[in-house]
Amino acid sequence: MDNALMLKVREGDLDKMGLLFERYHRELFGFLYHMSGQPDGSEDMVQTVFYRMLKYRHTFTGEGSFRAWMYHLARNVLADFRQKHKRSAQQYDLANYAEKIAGGLAADEALHKEQELAALREALASLSPDYREVLVLSRFQELKYEEIARVLGTTEGAVKVRVHRAMQELKKFFFSIEQ
Amino acid sequence: MNCENVKEQLPEWLNEQLPAAERAVLDDHLAGCPDCRQELNATRQLWQRLENIPTPEMRPEVRTQFYAMLGTFKAEETARQRSRWTALVHRLLPWWKPQAALRLAYSLLLVAVGVAAGYGLQYWQMPPLAYKQQIDTLSAQVVEMRQMMMLSLLENPSATERLRAVSFTKDITDVDGRIIDALLTTLNNDPNVNVRLVTLEALVELAGDARVREGLVQALTRQESPLVQVALADVMVQLQERKSIKPLRQLLRREDTNDLVKAKLAQTIRELS
Repeated sequence: MDNALMLKVREGDLDKMGLLFERYHRELFGFLYHMSGQPDGSEDMVQTVFYRMLKYRHTFTGEGSFRAWMYHLARNVLADFRQKHKRSAQQYDLANYAEKIAGGLAADEALHKEQELAALREALASLSPDYREVLVLSRFQELKYEEIARVLGTTEGAVKVRVHRAMQELKKFFFSIEQ
Repeated sequence: MNCENVKEQLPEWLNEQLPAAERAVLDDHLAGCPDCRQELNATRQLWQRLENIPTPEMRPEVRTQFYAMLGTFKAEETARQRSRWTALVHRLLPWWKPQAALRLAYSLLLVAVGVAAGYGLQYWQMPPLAYKQQIDTLSAQVVEMRQMMMLSLLENPSATERLRAVSFTKDITDVDGRIIDALLTTLNNDPNVNVRLVTLEALVELAGDARVREGLVQALTRQESPLVQVALADVMVQLQERKSIKPLRQLLRREDTNDLVKAKLAQTIRELS
């Protein structure tokens, strides 16, 4: 279905890109947001990814899924973004949450949850992009390992190993932050 | 099942992609291994908590911006498609595969072979270049034969034949030194007055050549026949050959020159000087 739409775009029916935007912009934004931690930057990147889909539409062969192709382009855009903002590359945008952690009242249930969430975010942000990527793709984007392997251009086995190591790392960071 | 295997199956277990049979084996192991149980539970908890990280909403402007970008892109695209080549390339690019390249090369080869065969056949049936060369050779041979024939006819004892020979010079396009020499010799030495007159006419046609003019001037003093002398004098006027004044005066002083001719010569000298 999505492949058929994208093939139509490739053949010159550019309006069909509107349908693909409606269907995928949230998912794409989610991926870019969890990878970069920057909502504004992610909105810009969503735009860039869709622009590149139009510009390089003839590289979509229809052999793989549209989704895999989208993530492939998104990763390139993300790499460019990281290159451009190298100084703040690893800086997850935590400004909003730092205040909340700093606030006293630890006994308050809601606040405790908020703190826990902030710790989790920070742990995720501390992961290397390679580890963060497999977690975001499998946990948030709900891609199957097989699909992730296609997006990353590797084997399913390698993806599993990476997910395992990423979870180990995440655990280590999370518990060190929480304590 | 040992603890290492458990760790390997962790990703599928988290994603709930583990087949039921393997899951049963895993659960079995977990029941008897508190270490693994604790580790897996911690991991699973974390995995589940990840879901709680919210994804913010995009600002609605992003949608507006997207459609604006799409509109601009479409406008640029239609502008670009005016040059039809790009459009063609874009259309053809997705079809470009190595197998297609091979097929294309093969068909181009076939076409090339066909064209080559066609040309080959044409050359074989009627080779234009060789044909033209042959014609050139033949016409050159014909010209040469004419020259030969003319030269030999000039030696002919019959005055009629010699007349014919002189008339041939009109058909010879590029007259060479041999022919000029032969004509001048005829003009000076031919016993027949008519032949000499015709020869003179033929030489006047070739007066563009310096040798011809010189020969004509020299011929003035060698002519005995009044007719030829008068004709020569006319030619000198016609060619405005000033070098002829000296031989004309010599001829005028000669005692054996006809009186009528002398009057003509005097007039010619006046006209030239």
